[in-house]
Formats: sequence, structure tokens, C-alpha cells
Amino acid sequence: MEILIIALKSIVIGGLCGFGVGAGAARMFHAPTYQGMGAFRTLGELNSCESDPAAHFSFGLGFFFNAWASSVAAGSFTQDVDHRIIPNWGAALLMIKNRNLEQTLHSPKKMAFACALIGVIVVLFLNTTTSVIPDSLKITATKVLVPAANLLVATVMPVIFWLAALDAGRRSGFWGTLFGGLAQLIMGNAVPGLVLGILIGKGVDDSGWNRVMKIMLAAVIVLFVMSGYFRGFDMKMINSFRDGLSYWFK
Amino acid sequence: MNTQTTINKSFWYADWSFPILCGLLSAGIFAGTHTFYVYGIGAFNEIAFVAMLKSGMTTGDYGAVAAFGASFLFARVIEGSLVGILDIGGALQTGIGLGVPALLLAGGYTLPIENFLVALLTGLLLGMAIGLLIILIRKFTVNSGGGSTFGADVMMGAGNASGRFLGPMIILSAMVASIPIGIGSLLGALLFYVWKKPITGGAILGAMIFGGIFPII
Repeated sequence: MEILIIALKSIVIGGLCGFGVGAGAARMFHAPTYQGMGAFRTLGELNSCESDPAAHFSFGLGFFFNAWASSVAAGSFTQDVDHRIIPNWGAALLMIKNRNLEQTLHSPKKMAFACALIGVIVVLFLNTTTSVIPDSLKITATKVLVPAANLLVATVMPVIFWLAALDAGRRSGFWGTLFGGLAQLIMGNAVPGLVLGILIGKGVDDSGWNRVMKIMLAAVIVLFVMSGYFRGFDMKMINSFRDGLSYWFK
Repeated sequence: MNTQTTINKSFWYADWSFPILCGLLSAGIFAGTHTFYVYGIGAFNEIAFVAMLKSGMTTGDYGAVAAFGASFLFARVIEGSLVGILDIGGALQTGIGLGVPALLLAGGYTLPIENFLVALLTGLLLGMAIGLLIILIRKFTVNSGGGSTFGADVMMGAGNASGRFLGPMIILSAMVASIPIGIGSLLGALLFYVWKKPITGGAILGAMIFGGIFPII
């Protein structure tokens, strides 16, 4: 029964995503006059297939196997489903009949409907085939993946963002270190603070201490004060300092 | 590029339709996060990024993934409106698909992620808001020239660099889980490397196969 519900949901999800991706990808060929949606790499790859349906199909197929493996392993489609598989297979479908680019790949209307169909098929296939995998295998995947992900979130990401902030210039380094450290103390993870630090540092580098940057800095400070208050950091800090002092004055 | 002479105002090309297209795509992506949250399948993103959400779901701390998603969204919205191409991966798949759900879950609002219809609606509205914002920024910045990207490139570089760490770390944690699972993970990663695919997928698949044959008791 659950698999039927998953299948129905997959059809809706695939259709919606395909429609948006198709229209957005076709509109990319008319950017910047019209606002498109996709990615520069998608644009380049679609062009490199030179209106050959077989090239579009096999390009998508390579990423499809990877997306399938990733879905089986961790339930994640990879970004390539929206970026590469749907637009390329949609283009291939249209080009079987007609190789004129203006009437196929560059037409948002045709791409939207072709990609909606492809989206339904791809999402339905990925979700239904991966939901029948036995639970014992999924338990192993969770046992392996979750500790690795925790390590990634708790240690690797803060370090990488911190180094990136230090390398991005003296201002990002300073604000990144300050806010990163405070975020680790208050929120339990340094990444939010490091991101805000880079934002402020690079913003000031590029545009100076103008009104926008001052408002942004004030907003960041308010954010820290508020989350410190709501997480009870102020009391914890006062208590830890008091405990330390009472050691000397007892 | 040769369409500049005649500005096409039909639905398929107009500025006003962009928020609708963006909303439909976001509805699908947000609902994909819903299926991941409920059934463990169907998130529209890379293993490394989805793993961060998974880590939040088990530990209850969504701070890192929320900041990661929100920073991508912010950066890509600015970039997308300036260059005319909105990056689906950063803005919608990572920002709306991971960052916003993480923010909602961190705040205790589980309904938009647990209920399919509410998920679709939430995604639609968020996507339309993003699309509208981009069109507004476009109108606003068309004459004022380039501005600051607020270190978007630095953040995205760091984000992608941290994703690369997951592969080796999966092998390490597989080896902690048990010897057969560790060996399976190692073989899977080697196979994928030789096959020129990212080793993360191979490491997990190898661990799963060996974990199925030699379960942890």
C-alpha cells in the first residue's frame, strides 16, 4: 500500500519538477533578455550535444545510473536529476521528430511538456525501485552514513568554512573568526557564524561601510543576542564564570 | 540570443510567468524532501548535502544544514538575477529543498514536511516568492550596474569542498561499524573510482551489500 502512495506522490513531484525544469532550461537560451532557470553547466552541456537526440539521451543515461546508485544508497537523487537527466532526455524526446533547435530545445512550451513527462517517469522509477530494497540493507546504510554525516557537520564543515573565511581576506577572516567562534559557543555549530562573517567581510570589501552593511551587521548582532537569550546561553555563561570564581574565593 | 529584437510577452517568455515556473519546480523539490523525511527516499540533492539533513533528523540540531542551505539560496538569488540564469542546484534544491525544511524543523514546525499537500503548497509559495524576488532585483539592478556578491563564491567553494569529504569519511565509519562492512565499503569505493564515478555512492553501496550478507548482530 505504501508503495502505491509513494508512486502517486512521485508522479506529482516528477511532473511539477519536469515542467519547471523544462521551461526554465529552454528560457536559459534566451538569457539575459528573459530570466532562465538551470545552470551554466547545463546550458553548456545541452549545447555540446549539437541537436543529436542520441547524444542527449546517452549523456543523461550516464548520470541516471549514478543517480540510481545514490538513490539506492541514501535516498538522494543527486542534483543531476533536475540539472542533467530531465532536460537532456526531454530534449532527446523532442528531437526524435524534429531537429530544429528553435522548435525543440529553445521552445519553453515544448520543453515544459516533454520534460514533465520525462520527470514523471524518472522520479517514479527512482522512488519505486529504491523503496523495495530490504530494510536490513537500509539499516547498514544508516549505520554507516549517519556517523559520517555527523562528523561532516560537526567538524569538517566548520573547519573548511573557517579556512575559506581566513583565505578570503583580512575582513572576512576577522568577522568569520569572531562570529564563527560565537556561533559555536551559542548555537553549537560554527558554520552559521562563519557564513555571516564571510558575508559581512566580503560585502565591506566590495562596497565599503555603507548603510546596507551597517544594517546587516546590526541584524547579525541582534540574531546572536536573541538566540543566545532563547537558548539560555546568558545564564549558562554567568554560571560557568561564577563556578570558576568561587574556586578562588571559597 | 538572437531574440533581442522582438520581446516576446507570451506566458512562456514573460517576466511575470517566471515566479510561477519557479514555484512549480520548488513545489516538486520541497515535496521530494517530504518523501525523504517520511519514507527515506526522493530528496533532490547530493548524498553529502542530504546527509546533513539526515544528521539533523537524528540529532535534532539543524543549525549547520539550515545555514548551509540559506547561504546557497541567498548567494544564488543575487547571482541568478544578475546573470539571468537562476541556479536550480543552489537556490532551489539546496536552499528550498534543504535549508528551509531544516529551518522549519529546527523551529518545531513539522507539518509542512510531514504532510504531502502542505509540502506542495509550501514549496509553491516559497518558489513563487523567490521568483518574484529575482524579477524585482532584475528590474532594480538593470540600470545600476554590478554590485557585491557578498562572498557568494567563497561560501559555495567551501560548501562544495566539504561535500568531497563525505566519501572517505563513509569508508572510515564503515570500518568502525564492522570489518566486513568496512571491506565492502572499500571495494565499492575502489570500483566506483576505477569506473570514474564519485566514490561516495560506491562506498555506501559496498557497505550495504556486505552488511546484507554479514549483518551486524
